[in-house]
Amino acid sequence: MAFDYKKLGFKAGLEIHQQLDTHKLFCECPSVLRTDEPLSVVKRKIHVVAGEGGKVDVAAKFQGEMEKEFFYQTYDTTCLVELDEEPPHEINSEAVKIALEIALLLNCEIFPATEIMRKTIVNGSNTSGFQRTVLIAHGGYIETSEGKVGINSIYLEEDSARPVEKGESSVVYRLDRLGIPLLEISTDPDLKSPSQVKEAALKIGEILRSTKVRRGIGTIRQDVNISIKGGRRVEIKGFQDPKIMEKCIEIEVLRQKSFVDKGEKNASEVRNCLPDGTTVFLRPMPGSSRMYPETDLPILKVSRDLISQVKKNLPKLKSELEEELKNQGLSEEMISLLFKEGKLQEYKELYEISGNPKLISKLLLLLPKEIAKKEGKKIEEIEETLSSDVLIFVLESVYKEKIQEKDVKHVLEKIVTGIPPQEAIKLEKEDFSDIEEKIMNILKEKPGLSPNAYMGLVMNESKGKISGEDAMKIIRKFLK
Amino acid sequence: MEIDKNFGNYVEVETGKKIYEGTLLPSPETGAFLLKLENGYNIGFNKKDILKLKVIRKGKDEKKEFNPPFSEDKKNIAVIITGGTIAARLNPEKGGVDWLTTPDVMFRFYPELFDKVNVKKIEVPFMKASEDMDYKDWQEIAKVAVRLLNDSEIEGIIITHGTDFLHYTSAALSFFIKNLNKPVVLTYSQRSIDRGSSDANLNLQCSSIAAISDIAEVMLIGHATENDDFCYAMPGAKVRKMHSSRRDAFKVVNSEPFAKISQNKIEGISKYKIRNKGKVVADSKFEEKVALVKVYPGQDPDILDYYLKKGYKGIVLEFSGLGHAPTLRARKSWIKKLKEVQEKGLIVCASAQTIYGRLNPLVYSNGRELLETGIIYLEDMLSETAYVKLGWVLGHKEWAVSKEKIKEKMLENVAGEFNNRLVE
Repeated sequence: MAFDYKKLGFKAGLEIHQQLDTHKLFCECPSVLRTDEPLSVVKRKIHVVAGEGGKVDVAAKFQGEMEKEFFYQTYDTTCLVELDEEPPHEINSEAVKIALEIALLLNCEIFPATEIMRKTIVNGSNTSGFQRTVLIAHGGYIETSEGKVGINSIYLEEDSARPVEKGESSVVYRLDRLGIPLLEISTDPDLKSPSQVKEAALKIGEILRSTKVRRGIGTIRQDVNISIKGGRRVEIKGFQDPKIMEKCIEIEVLRQKSFVDKGEKNASEVRNCLPDGTTVFLRPMPGSSRMYPETDLPILKVSRDLISQVKKNLPKLKSELEEELKNQGLSEEMISLLFKEGKLQEYKELYEISGNPKLISKLLLLLPKEIAKKEGKKIEEIEETLSSDVLIFVLESVYKEKIQEKDVKHVLEKIVTGIPPQEAIKLEKEDFSDIEEKIMNILKEKPGLSPNAYMGLVMNESKGKISGEDAMKIIRKFLK
Repeated sequence: MEIDKNFGNYVEVETGKKIYEGTLLPSPETGAFLLKLENGYNIGFNKKDILKLKVIRKGKDEKKEFNPPFSEDKKNIAVIITGGTIAARLNPEKGGVDWLTTPDVMFRFYPELFDKVNVKKIEVPFMKASEDMDYKDWQEIAKVAVRLLNDSEIEGIIITHGTDFLHYTSAALSFFIKNLNKPVVLTYSQRSIDRGSSDANLNLQCSSIAAISDIAEVMLIGHATENDDFCYAMPGAKVRKMHSSRRDAFKVVNSEPFAKISQNKIEGISKYKIRNKGKVVADSKFEEKVALVKVYPGQDPDILDYYLKKGYKGIVLEFSGLGHAPTLRARKSWIKKLKEVQEKGLIVCASAQTIYGRLNPLVYSNGRELLETGIIYLEDMLSETAYVKLGWVLGHKEWAVSKEKIKEKMLENVAGEFNNRLVE
């Protein structure tokens, strides 16, 4: 299915929804998904109301006609705000900050004053009957190998409740997800091929992951808007995996083309992507008439001070970090291990103390594994004992020359056997003075031998507790 | 640049940096305005940052009036609209508030209200938030209600009202409308009506059922629980707003609801007066110089001098526990001052700040000392109802002749404000 996308007049734009890693957007509830039994279930109905100018939005009407009953599961991590029984609290300032970070990383212009809006949603996924959403920034861009892609807008909104059971005339929703801060990024319809769509999605994904966003399944959702010349725009939702994206887009182009070839136009609608890459009708395209102001909240002001404060502390992208680590002298193997095991933050903390990348990466990435293997313990268990506080202590001990770099492994082994870190390094020193005493005794008992002969005796006596090099140093010291 | 004159128009505004297009809207903040962009979002600007404004096209003033449905098979009701969330709607196209005061607008927002009844009349005596109302507004509502209740074509009335002080109005109407013959339903909304989740919908549906029922009482109807499944019809003089935001904000205190109402049926719970063919009259005389004061630890009783000096005729004191205020063993005892102000003619009544339960001054010596000063203890009557009743009683010259007569009227169960059998 190799199309000439240019000839087809292919246009696509991405819409990416990413959950932020903070408490909820309009209340203080934690953003925690639950799998246990709910505390209670509340029953509600949503009725379609006329929007602006008395118009009922097409999408709103479509869903409202279903006349369903909705059940909401509550938990000790949800409150009256999610239940639509209390007005929203002030917008979560941490979420706003993260949104600003992302907006700046995407080269966007930030709106200094913007009104929090209510977007009518009547499928019950929001207890209020609308989703709170606010336009944060616009006019940005990213670079791809096939050219610049415009970032049209960035919105901060509340995630919806998740459906756990769908019946004929009712839907059961869980309130745990409702209100989790969700950042929506929409690109301009600049994407000219399925491969560019995928590249842009990955690129935006990398930028998102450099900030404080939630990770794992369901924390990022990508939608694609697609049209070809002579057809109408279709929004495809529901790909979790960018891998299916390319295939799905190809199939959708084929579907739209079949209309155009017959001299018809496909309907402008929202479709859902199935695991095999085909799509099914979900609902009509929503109009802008379903937006009206959230009158319970003041206008969101973003001051210049706040923007410059965010600018100063912008996180670095993975590609930038890799470059930085390389310059510090880390091998590519170690760098990829650091990212793979998610130990970048710990690495940075340790690096601030000693600035010895090789020792730090050894401490973090290699030694725990070696010790686990040697002791026959699980790596998790070892890492729990060798917490970052312990590693900082050991590293500081090296830095203050209480122990030497080569002793580190031995010290860590001792700590793993249960010896407190303070003792583990002290013992090392005592061992040494103990050996010094022994060496002095040997010298007294057998005077007149050559250093190498003493060395043999000392090594025999110390049973590997001291290296040959150190032993020789002590012998020479006493022989002077 | 006439920003204010162009609200509702589609315009182009130029700031130093950029040009934006959208519909011009007023901002809740002074010196600012909003622009609704094509995507539906509103962004804000300071008026002083605008270099140029150009009108691209005028906003449309779409107004299609139509008559809501009417059926000979359905019973007629009347609606009195007084303001509050239930009747207010933000106009997102022009800014500001639109009131729902005409039948066609009512129908557009609450089509379900018209399912079971014909809304024969809509009366709008005034539009106010309930916290801005006082006894004069209660009198006005009572006047309109009496006229409608005496209209043989009307089976019952629904009064829509803000929630904050709704229970004062419901208590007032309980006293003000004499010889009640038909249902008088007060209802409200805690969630604004523009949202799909508004509680007004169920409240109004249940109210329409109550309005054509045989319950000839002043009742407040609203969500019984957090669920959108049924409402309670609550006695007007025994109900109180108990939550600032939940949809089941109103609770019956020291009594029971008259009935449980769902979209399809009405089930009686407690005794009520049955619909009859009599004539009603308004009996809404009211003495303005009454007060309601909550007693707190260490409070100086001299506050009573203020009320006396200002010409107050009566005061309801919200007492602690079974009916107590600081007594002789307190640093600031109220005993002497209470005696003094009552000797000077101030009527002092006591109600319970515990909200639930009955006062009983005989249990402790502190209570007995307070009782001896001559205070009228109002049993299980709600403080808000007590305030309304005291104003109503003192407003009647024929009753205000002596303290004995006043006490007799205050303790007479006129509108179900007393319940001598508390079961909870």
